[in-house]
Amino acid sequence: MCGIAGILYKDGLRHELGRDLITMLDGCQHRGPDSTGFALYHGSAATAGDGGRSDLRLRFFVGEGDEAQSTVADIRARFAGLGAEIVEEEVAGTTARFLVRFDGDLQQLSYAMEHEAKLASIGESLDIIKDVGSAHDVDDAYGIAGFDGTHGIGHVRLATESAVSPEAGHPFWATGFSDIAIVHNGQITNYYKMRRRLEKRGFEFHTDNDSELIAVYLADKLAQGAQLEEALAQSIQDLDGTFSFLVSTKDEIGYAKDRLAAKPMVLYEDGDIVAVASEEVSLNKLFPGRALETTEPAPGTYRTWRKAA
Amino acid sequence: MATIDLAQVSVTEANRLIRAYGDQGEDVDVANPDARHHIGVGLTAPVRLRIHGSAGYFCAGLSDGPTVEVEGNVGWGLADNMTAGTVVVRGNASAIPGVAIRGADVIVHGNIGSRAGQVMKEGTLCCGGNANFMTGYMMYGGRLIVCGDSGELVGQDIHGGSIYVGGKVGSLGQDAMLADVEPHELDDVLAFLERWQVPFSGTFKKIVNAGRNLRYARTEPRVRVVPFFVGSERTDYWNAKVQEDISVKAQIGRYRIRGYGATRPLPHLSDLAFRADLTRVEPDPDVVAKVDLRSSLGGRFGATPIELSMPAMIAPMSYGALSKSTKVALARASALSDICDNSGEGGLIPEVREAAKRVVVQMLGGRLGWSVHAMRAADGIEIYVSQGAKPGLGGQLMAKKVTEDIARLRGIPAGIDLRSPSRHPDVLGADDLVIKVEELREATGWEKPVSVKLGAGRVRDDVKIAFKDGFDYVCLDGMQGSTGAAGNEVLEFVGIPTLSAIVEALDALDALGASGMPIMLMGGIKDGIDTAKAIALGAHGVALGTSTIIAGGCIACLQCAVGQCVVGIATQDPVYEARYDVDAESWNIHRYLEAVRWQLASVVHAHGYGSVYDLSRDDLVALTPEAAEITRLPYAPEATGNTLARAVA
Repeated sequence: MCGIAGILYKDGLRHELGRDLITMLDGCQHRGPDSTGFALYHGSAATAGDGGRSDLRLRFFVGEGDEAQSTVADIRARFAGLGAEIVEEEVAGTTARFLVRFDGDLQQLSYAMEHEAKLASIGESLDIIKDVGSAHDVDDAYGIAGFDGTHGIGHVRLATESAVSPEAGHPFWATGFSDIAIVHNGQITNYYKMRRRLEKRGFEFHTDNDSELIAVYLADKLAQGAQLEEALAQSIQDLDGTFSFLVSTKDEIGYAKDRLAAKPMVLYEDGDIVAVASEEVSLNKLFPGRALETTEPAPGTYRTWRKAA
Repeated sequence: MATIDLAQVSVTEANRLIRAYGDQGEDVDVANPDARHHIGVGLTAPVRLRIHGSAGYFCAGLSDGPTVEVEGNVGWGLADNMTAGTVVVRGNASAIPGVAIRGADVIVHGNIGSRAGQVMKEGTLCCGGNANFMTGYMMYGGRLIVCGDSGELVGQDIHGGSIYVGGKVGSLGQDAMLADVEPHELDDVLAFLERWQVPFSGTFKKIVNAGRNLRYARTEPRVRVVPFFVGSERTDYWNAKVQEDISVKAQIGRYRIRGYGATRPLPHLSDLAFRADLTRVEPDPDVVAKVDLRSSLGGRFGATPIELSMPAMIAPMSYGALSKSTKVALARASALSDICDNSGEGGLIPEVREAAKRVVVQMLGGRLGWSVHAMRAADGIEIYVSQGAKPGLGGQLMAKKVTEDIARLRGIPAGIDLRSPSRHPDVLGADDLVIKVEELREATGWEKPVSVKLGAGRVRDDVKIAFKDGFDYVCLDGMQGSTGAAGNEVLEFVGIPTLSAIVEALDALDALGASGMPIMLMGGIKDGIDTAKAIALGAHGVALGTSTIIAGGCIACLQCAVGQCVVGIATQDPVYEARYDVDAESWNIHRYLEAVRWQLASVVHAHGYGSVYDLSRDDLVALTPEAAEITRLPYAPEATGNTLARAVA
């Protein structure tokens, strides 16, 4: 149960992404006071040689104090064992962020690293930061306002069934896939059935949160060659329950809304940006004092936007 | 003309100012609304409000008489429950515009979102553009005009009123059909559009109720009276009550609706005992004067608390399920015993308000009999989410009880088998509920306690949500709780026992580290001993329903739904109601409440305590392994406390 927000700058350049997402999430914090999270797309980091993959950003939950130190040491050792070269590392809040150079299989890397510490995200562009508290609390701990980027999504959470903890918050990264994140408002009622189907095919889940399923489900479709739009269209058929969710990849954001239109979503688009949020009050916070031309997506619909290359 | 700048003041402060200006007859401009929620909520003066921008959820909600113009868009629940007045929106409206309106003209020039006009009773909701999914869902009356396309499932479960669609009619909802538009109706609609300058050319199609689903084919017959305890015998499957159930089903051919709650044996407070040997304490005729039983509810957010002379309330029971005479007797008894009454579903009638010293008004999903005036008249406001007798289901009021008076009060067609909605139009999750609670507080200037009634199902999660969503207290109802009408199987087998419910609720609050949100326990509370045990477990107090009805003459035949209650309690038939002696029964109920008080005081005093809240879990033991497992109290069947009845008798 929660509020969601997302923004994409159409010019493909880096803007004040962190600040804009904080503004929007602050506008709907009443929908979820327990925890707040951000999926920030910085644009790709340095590329290692011709045709190689860009350096990968990985963020882990490492805890605090001594626990954090020993976990970070384990992570370093595991990277070395897998042949991943650490380019940069930094501890922030209860997380540690690494930039690594790695050309091997990404799913293997992520499953292996999960054995050392809980991963928040992996991506060439994506960095997920989520923790307990409000948008401003998380900003204070992680300096979100200082992050610039090309697009991103965010989430405020009111925990109803699963625990209040940083890793149970949104956004959810599609474990094993790079650069895919989702935020979700609602409840997936065929969660266990869908999860078992994906687990049988070898996918791992790291929480009991129904929203993680959406991320893995979509990433699997994309990995099989579907366009994001196709994956979203199929998701409305395959997922039962009430949902309004946002998905983001390296270059796109998109939404899907259930056929019962049970959860809110409002959309604003102009020549420069696309912004989507649970409530208009979040969008209006980006443009104080203006009456915006907004639309409410119809039930059972989806759409995507791609940033300029 | 006054101007309020929402960039400078909070919505709460703005609403206070708007009400003050309204009382002086001054119009108000609102600048920088920026889609904030609750703008213009709770207005009861004919003030004119201009909102220069977009408004959020519940704009002009719970109001009576204002004229509101919005230059931009509005969020969910435009003009929620508006009694009279006008709202004009230049932009679009999000989901459920015109929800539960009871009058008023609501005009949206742009498009409207899903479930427009849900449970509306009267008035006109008009959309210049296109509507969305389930337009007119469960509407009970009034007029819904859509100049553009209707969207899918138009008129889903419509009970009354008319939907006019100028554009394309999508699929028809359940029990909806197309009907001819009479010339005079068309003239009225066109005149309305002209008056509000909504451009339209063309013609309208009309959607109304198809009459397939408003009544059960057969209703429960009145049968020979078999006391409810016959059904509770542990020893035989085939008892008189089971036979009765089968015979009734043989006549009606569906699930059987009956009154009361679970009759089968369940773990309960009677499976607990006091650890101390209270028989050693001499009975004391002045015991009530020697201990403090006073209780207070609802100060968590600065509202005026509900003060109780003892930690007990009258449980919510509707005028509809019960006769007006019974409602008045309960209200009088609650005043005589200086506790608090509850309206139940269907509205707060003036007779009850007048007779009760304190009364809580309940809001249910159908918003039947609900209005800002009822909220203002009450001492507390309660959002009904579910009840112990039938968690997750709505109320049922069979046609015999849906009289003209009840129908008028509730805003529904008379003579239908009323099946109240099981969920709230504007609460589809904990996140929406936060905003709904805020709206209720805005409408009453944050002065009234707001509680939630929860049937015991997933209590752990529900109580955590209740705490986070900002309720003052929780009324928690276990599966022994009774009702005027529900399916027999639901009554017997859905939910968890009262005893389990209170333990789960307190565990949930502990897990959150939460304090300050009392739990009022109900569902099979028989007397002061049960009350003392509930409080010792950690409840703040109890609510008494069935026991008060029995005190007032109920014979527990379980046939409340039939409508021909032989003692005049569960009936709207004047012939039967005439048998109920309001004066006598109000004193009977009052004397019963005083017996509860005396028992409670005796238990407190016998422990050597000065206050009822000195009781704790340490004072209790479990008499059965099952109760021990549920409560984590020590299993001690040898405890002497269960002879308490002798001590205080």
